[in-house]
This record gives sequence, structure tokens and C-alpha cells, in this order.
Amino acid sequence: MALFSGVDWWTVLLYVALTLIGFTAVFSASYVEDSQNFWSFSHEYIKHIFWLGLSYFTGLIILLLDRSSWHKWAYIICVITLFIVLMTFTPLGKTVNGARAWLGLGGFTLQPMELAKVGISLAVARLMSLYGFSVQRASDLMKVMAILVVPMGIAVLQNDTGSGLVFCSFIFMLFREGLNYWICVPLIFLVALLILSFLLTPGVLLIALILIFTFCAGMLMRNRWKACINYIVSLFLVSTLLFILLVVVMGKSLNYYDCLLFTTAASLLVVIVYAYRANIRSIYLLILFFFVSIICLPTSDMVFHHLKPHQQNRIRTFLGQVDDKDLLYNVNQSKIAIGSGGFSGKGFLQGSQIRYGLVPEKHTDFIFCTIGEEFGFLGALVLFSCFAMLILRLMRMGDRQLETFGRVYCYCVASILFFHCCINIGMTMGIVPVMGIPLPFISYGGSSLLGFSILVFIAIALDASPTKHQSTLRKW
Amino acid sequence: MNNPRNDRYRHQILRIIVYAVFGFFALTAGYLQLIEGNSYIDKAENNYIRYIITYPPRGEVFDRNGEYLIQNKVVYDLMVVPREASRKGIDTVRLATITNEPMKRLKRSLNEARRSWRTASPVVKYLSAESKLKMDEWNLPGFYTVPRTVRQYPRRIGGNLLGSLSEVSQNFLAKYNEDGYYSIRDYIGEQGIESAYEKELRGEKGRIRRNLYADHSTTDEVEKEPVAGKNLISSIDARLQAFAEELMKDKIGSVVAIEPETGEILVMASSPTFDPNELVISRERGNNYMRLLNEPRRPLFNRAVTSPQPPGSTFKLLNGLIGLQEGVLKPHYKYSCNRGYRAGNIKMGCHEHRSPLDLDYAIATSCNAYFCNVYRNILENKKYESPKQGYEAWRNYVEQFGFGVKLGTDIPGERRGTLMHREYYDKLYRRSWNALTVLSVSIGQGEILATTLQLANFAAIIANRGYYYTPHIIKAIEGQDSIDIKYRTPHYTSIDRRHFETIIKGMWRGVNRDGTCQTAKLPGLDVCGKTGTAQNPLGDDHSTFISFAPRNNPKIAIAVYVEHGVWGATAAVPIASLIEEMYLTDTITRPWLIEHVKNLNLDYSIYDRHRKKK
Repeated sequence: MALFSGVDWWTVLLYVALTLIGFTAVFSASYVEDSQNFWSFSHEYIKHIFWLGLSYFTGLIILLLDRSSWHKWAYIICVITLFIVLMTFTPLGKTVNGARAWLGLGGFTLQPMELAKVGISLAVARLMSLYGFSVQRASDLMKVMAILVVPMGIAVLQNDTGSGLVFCSFIFMLFREGLNYWICVPLIFLVALLILSFLLTPGVLLIALILIFTFCAGMLMRNRWKACINYIVSLFLVSTLLFILLVVVMGKSLNYYDCLLFTTAASLLVVIVYAYRANIRSIYLLILFFFVSIICLPTSDMVFHHLKPHQQNRIRTFLGQVDDKDLLYNVNQSKIAIGSGGFSGKGFLQGSQIRYGLVPEKHTDFIFCTIGEEFGFLGALVLFSCFAMLILRLMRMGDRQLETFGRVYCYCVASILFFHCCINIGMTMGIVPVMGIPLPFISYGGSSLLGFSILVFIAIALDASPTKHQSTLRKW
Repeated sequence: MNNPRNDRYRHQILRIIVYAVFGFFALTAGYLQLIEGNSYIDKAENNYIRYIITYPPRGEVFDRNGEYLIQNKVVYDLMVVPREASRKGIDTVRLATITNEPMKRLKRSLNEARRSWRTASPVVKYLSAESKLKMDEWNLPGFYTVPRTVRQYPRRIGGNLLGSLSEVSQNFLAKYNEDGYYSIRDYIGEQGIESAYEKELRGEKGRIRRNLYADHSTTDEVEKEPVAGKNLISSIDARLQAFAEELMKDKIGSVVAIEPETGEILVMASSPTFDPNELVISRERGNNYMRLLNEPRRPLFNRAVTSPQPPGSTFKLLNGLIGLQEGVLKPHYKYSCNRGYRAGNIKMGCHEHRSPLDLDYAIATSCNAYFCNVYRNILENKKYESPKQGYEAWRNYVEQFGFGVKLGTDIPGERRGTLMHREYYDKLYRRSWNALTVLSVSIGQGEILATTLQLANFAAIIANRGYYYTPHIIKAIEGQDSIDIKYRTPHYTSIDRRHFETIIKGMWRGVNRDGTCQTAKLPGLDVCGKTGTAQNPLGDDHSTFISFAPRNNPKIAIAVYVEHGVWGATAAVPIASLIEEMYLTDTITRPWLIEHVKNLNLDYSIYDRHRKKK
């Protein structure tokens, strides 16, 4: 059949498996034992069947459509979806859980940001498939950023930061496209610094920074290790001396952290002169970066204080700096649900945490608890492998594309799925701060199911496109 | 890198990241489910099974005549489940009027209740039955009342004797809750009988297993029925106790009366006292407690057991007994007394009386000089190498009478008083001391302090002619054949019975012929007694009196201690006499004596001065 020619059946199979697991979980989470009417449309699982049907149908339609036209329509789809997202600010918009991210359509509510992911992915793919586009060029990178900033900004305005952060995951795809390591490494470093600045005192962090940077300098200068060690030792000696002197002479104590900061700043001049004379250029960059990190420390604090209280609490809870029972309640109940599942789970419809309604948002964001509790470690492993396989499959589909458009798009989809899985599963197990984003294909929620289905099916369609398939090419 | 399609290296890195992340998730899930799994299973179980503690009724306490001392009363707590209540808003004004709760406090507790959305929290505690009925009539959704029993003290007597209930403290839970019986917010007896017989009174808590279902319905299974607390019969005579407290009103001191043949405490009145109903668990308890705690005369203090004071002349009886036993004193020995006792630099004053005088009259008239001689002879006995050893022998006798040791009564907070060891004097005087150095002890002053309970017990020993039962306030426990064996074993002193008769003769004479305490004379009852007037540097002398009656086959032994009561005969003697008369004859033939006692205007400025300092 021409309709299904070239379709990657493994992906379809994984997709169907995940949606069925999802339906089982949603059924279990929303089934009410002595409900009067099993088929009542007020039950989440019945609604989920409807959305499931709609998603399958949409997937079929996508396979039927002209597979080469996605490239053509990419920008238009992007604009349309973003327009729908903006509709949330009109009276049609609805506020759920404090986020104005929903559209009320008759009896249904829609979260248009899920659809916007499709549009943005297509637009980014289109942009990056332009002839002569290179991620390593700053101006080109800026264009990608410009596209991504739009939905992120809207998400923040909607008070739905979690959905906005999803677009950060595109760095995964950008890396694949050849993003300069020198952008990746400092980014990771800065993120780590941000997290550590909550956990460590500034003094410890400063010392750690000095040691890391001197080590890096040593790496860059190869055989000048001795100089590096001398530098560190003299730095600490001088600052200690300064510390003692201040106490003795001025009679009042400056704390050691400030002394160390002062000495380090002063010493950098010497370092620059030394680097200039020894003709070691790379040191300049390192010094610049060092400054940025030090400035970053108080900034992270400032940013943190401008977050909303519930966001602050989520982050502080995650970092273990809160022991308020109310704040820990969600994550604790979720961990209890997963943990009490044991090896093989309590059995379908047998999970007490789910049955007794102790896990919050049990059929949406915390759906993984249902699987963890009722199907145990085995169920979790099956789910993890399905997700990992689907993501790897999407990456593979991307890799075998001949055109940049398809490759970028597949990687976009993989990135989004990966990010959702990481955050959602990590959050239910208490290793990532709580963010309200759903687990793809599993969570109850029509728009997310539909959105992810469209994402995946477009990838399948692009992959199946006869003119762009590597294997077809080989036949020629 | 220019041709990203061939950049295998990069997509390998990404693959590894994907593997690593999912691998890490698998490990975390494995840790949660396989390693920590069991503890989470427990936690999950706790989530849908609730154990509800059911409280048994606390035992009630009766006096020896079957009258209620401590009774249970039902009050109600008003509870709210905010989830079910808040939909329509609450008419707080009406709620406040029904419950008599100030608006401010009501709003605060409602706000606090809202924090736990699904669970019931108390809004107003200790509602009366009347308010409860009104609430039932109103039928406000989300609100309901829970009955609970509180204590009630119908006679309003014996605040610190009966004790009260309080919420168990954090400190107690942390340190003394060894069997884990108590949990937070439980009630525990504090002070007095409530504390002493906590284990008997409290009963055993029961437990109900409640299964919670998703639709908020529940099923209960009783795992353990609560066992009701045992009722107690106390040896206290409520009528006598009330009478004693009435007599002691506006005075500071205490009265203890003991039935000598059993050691049962009939009266233990400490003054000032308070109405135990003030400390019943209620909205006002905290305020009342703080007020009582800060009162300068310390009503919370059970002076009968916690306040050792110099026994004064009552102690002379003991010295007489020891002298007789040691053979250094014979009833016919006469000593002269010329308004006091002089030896070297020592001078011990005495009041005016006939001289020389024998033991009989010396007891009756309470001669200081006579007992200085007796005491000196005891210590300087040729039997012993030195007065120091003589002191040790003397001390040994004194201890047998329960002085300087805890008697082991069931009333909590008992103090042992003061009775110095030889080593104390050795250290104080660097080994150079003799009978004259410690002479003040001979008349019950100086390094000798005793609680009123010890004095009453002393009176009981004399009444029994040489033995005593540990004084106790328990007479019977419901469901037990007899009380603790330690209250049924006599303690003998090593003084012969005949010496007691000698001393009793003197005590009888003091009351009935020509002694210091003739007010105590009751026709036909042969009261025996000995006054004491203990000097103290702070104010007027303390007034004390020990007595028992009748002389043969005594029914009551009593000690009265009135701080700053001027003379033994001024305050203590009439009080003791009236109590004895009341107990033995059920009538009062001398109403004027009651008036006299009530109108005694004693000077307690020393206590009230404390307050000004603060």
C-alpha cells in the first residue's frame, strides 16, 4: 500500500504501546468502583478514549497528507499555532491551577501550547534547513533563539513556566547540529553553579571556583603546573595574611571570604601580565569566565528572589532546604506510591495511594505513580524502555534523513519527549523540582496526547517520505 | 563538523545521555521500590489505615465515707472539617454566641483549622451540655461535637492533695514515657492522688482500626477495647479535710492527721490552698495555673510534705524517749531551771515555771533546760568514746522515727527534711565539737527540719507505743483485695514500749493538768499532746502541736504546723483540738474556739514582701 510505504513500524508500535499503557494508567487512576454509570462521559477514562481515538485518527490523516509539504507549510503552521496560544489571553482563555494556559471550547479545554510545540519544531527545522545555515555562526544561532524566545515568553506570561522551559530542551538538538562545545561547557558549568550556589556557602564556592579555574589554566598551559600551584598557595597565604592584618591593625574583622575575593581580584592583574609575557592567550578567556561566574553568584540569588513564592518553594523543597510537611506532601506521597509498589506492584486497580486519592494530580502530572504503584519495578522498567526506545528511534530516524529539515525536526521531537520524560519522571521520584508538565502519551489530557501524537506522526511521515529516505536513495 | 550528518561522535554522546538518564531513573526506581520498598509499604498502609485511640473513663475517687472526692463530668469539643464546612461561609457571630467564645479567638481557631483541610480539628473546646444541644439544633454542616470527660471536685477541697489533670508535657514524653503509653495531647495526673495513682486511675486506652476509602466512607474494627480506670477509695475524710482547710484559712501551714493503727491519712490540709476545680482541663486552666503559680504564698505547694520546718519543742519528746532508752534519763530525774540553761558560753532561755522539775512536768511545761540536760547526757554517755559517737547513736534513733528520711508515702513530692550526719559537723567545726555545739537540736531547733507529715507520723508512733505504718492516702483500690504491702508492714523503733508510756504520761499532763496545751483538753477523750514554738529569724515564731487521742487505743494522731503562729498554744493547739473533737465526737462543743481560730490575725508580711521585691 502506497499509504503506508516507508513507515517506520517500530515507532508506530512503540507509540501505540505507550498510549495503551497510558490508557491503562489513566483508567486505573480515574476509575471509581461504585460509580453508577461506567460509560458516563464524566469519567476521565472515557474522555481519554475519545482523545485516543482522535489522536490515532489524526496520525492516520498525517500519514495520508503530502509528506513533502510540511517544509512548505512550516512557518504558517507555526504562526497559526502561536496565534491559538495567544487566544488564551482573550476571554476564551481559562485559568486552571493559576496558569492561564487553557482554551475553553464547548465542553473541552485545550492547552494550545502543546500544539505550539509542533509549530515551533517545524519552524526551527525550516530555519535550520536554509542553505548555508550554521549553528556555529552566532547570527544564525540568534535566529533560532528568536524563534524559541517567543513561546517561552508567552508561557511565562501565562504563568506556566514549566511549559516554557520545554523549549530549553532544543539545546539537545542544537548540540546534534554541531553547537560549539565552548557554548555547551560553560552553559553546563553555569547551571551547575546556579544549583550549587543554593547548597554551598559563598566562601566554599569561591575556593572551589579558584581551584577549578587554576586547574583549567594548568591544563591550558600544559607544563606550567608548578606556577599554578605556586599561584594557589600564594593566593591563600596573602589572603590569610590580609585577614590577620586587618584584625590586628584595624581591630575589626573582615570575613575571610571578602579577603580572598579581594586578593584574587588583585592577583588577576598579575596573572594577565604574566599571561601576556608568556604569550598564553587562552588565559584571558578563562579570567573573563571567572569574573562572569563570580558575578553570577549574587545574580542567581537575585533571580531566585524574583521568582513566585510557589516556584521558590518548589526549588527549595527539591534542594532539601525545606522541611515543611505541606510543601513536601506531594512529592512524599508520590514517592510513597512508587516505593510501595515493590518489585511487581500491587496489581491493577489495587494501589492504595491511587485508590484513596492520596497522590495529587494522579491522572495527569503524577501518572507515573499509578504505574509505579500498581505495576511495580517491572512496570516502571517497561515504561522506561519504551520511552528510551522511542527517543532513540526518533534520533535514528533523524540521523538517516537526507534533508536537514527532517533531521532537525526528528531531533526536535526527540528533545521535547526526552525533556518531558526527564522532568516528569524525575519529579515523581523526587529527583527534579516539581514542574507541571505531563508525561507524554501517558498523562490524561487531550491536548498533550494530541500534540505529542502529531509531533511523532509528522516525524514518521517525514521519515517515510520516499524521496528523502536513505534506503530509497540507495535503490536509485 | 561541517557536515553534521556524518558527525557520529555527537549523536553517540546524545545516545549515551539518553541511556544514562533512563538508566539513572531505573536505578532510582529500583532503590525506591526494591531497597526502600518495605518502609514505603508501611507508609502507604498508614495512609489509608488510621488507628483511632479510644479513651477509657478515668477512675473516680471516693473518701473513706464513700463521698465523691473526684468525679467525672462530660463536656464537648466542637470540631470542624473545613472541607465540608467552608462552602457557604459560616455565621461566626452566631457561633460565638452559642459557644461563648470571644470572636477573636474563634476566628483564630477557625483559621488554624483551615490548614488541615480534610481532617477534623477542634474549634472550641470544653463546651457545656447546653451549648452542645444548641449546636445540635443548628446542625451546621462540617461541625460536630465530640464528648470527653473532665474531672470535677464536688467538695472543692484539697487542691494540692487531690491534684489535677494536664496535657502531658513534651519533656515527659521525651524522658519518662518508657512504656510508650502516652502520646501527645494525652492527659496525665499532676500532683496529688491524680499523679500518685495515675496507673490505676487512667485505665488502658483502646484502639480502633479505621479503613479509609476513596469516597471518604470508613469502616471501623475494634482492635482493643478500652479498660476503664479503677475507682479508688481514699483514706481522706472529706468532711474533716474541709473542716481543717476552713480552720487553716488565711494561715500558712499544714495539718496532717493519721489513723495510728493503720497509717491512713485522714487529713492532709495545706494552706493556703485552692479549689481544684480551677485546674480542671478547661479554657481557663492555663490562666488559673499561672495565677496560682505566681501567688506569693504559693498555694500550689503541698506544705504538708514539701515544706520541712523546725519541729520546735515537739522534738523534746523524742529526746526524752532516747534518753530513757539509753538509760541516761529516769522519769524521776530532776533538773533545775533558772529561766534557762547555762553551760560555758551557751545560754538557752526558758520561760518561768517551777524548778527543779521532773520529766513529767518538763514535758507538760516544755522546759528547755531539762531537755538540754537530757540531750547532753545522751551525747556524753560513758558508753561511747566521744560525744560524736553519742551523736551517731542518737541520730540512729531519730532516723527510726522517720526524721531525715523519706517516709515513702504515696503523696508525691515528699521531702526528707534535715537531719545532719556526724560528718557534717566534723567538716563544719573541723572535728572539734561536742554536745554543747549542737545543743539547739535538743529543743528541735537548728539543724533539724521535719515536714508536718513526719511530725504527724511521730505522733502516730507515740500513739502506737513504738511502731508505725507508712502514712498513705489510699484505702482501697477497686478490683484489688488489698493495698500495697508496704503500707501494711509495721516499722518498729528500737525504743521499749514502757518508755512511751512515760512520755505519754507527760503529754497527757500537758493537756489535762498543768501544761502548755490545756486548750486541747476534751472531757472524756484523754487527749495527749505536745506544743512546739519554733523560733525563726524571719518573723513571729512558728506554732506547732502534735497530739493523739484517746490516750488508750488512739484513733487519731495529728500534727498542726502554723507558720508564724506566735505560740504553740495560740494557733496550732486549738486547730488540732477542734479537728480531734470533730473526728471523735462528730460535734463541736466550743464554737467560740472556732471563732478564735478564724479571727487570729497572724502577720505574714514576710511572704507578701516577696512580691514587692519582684
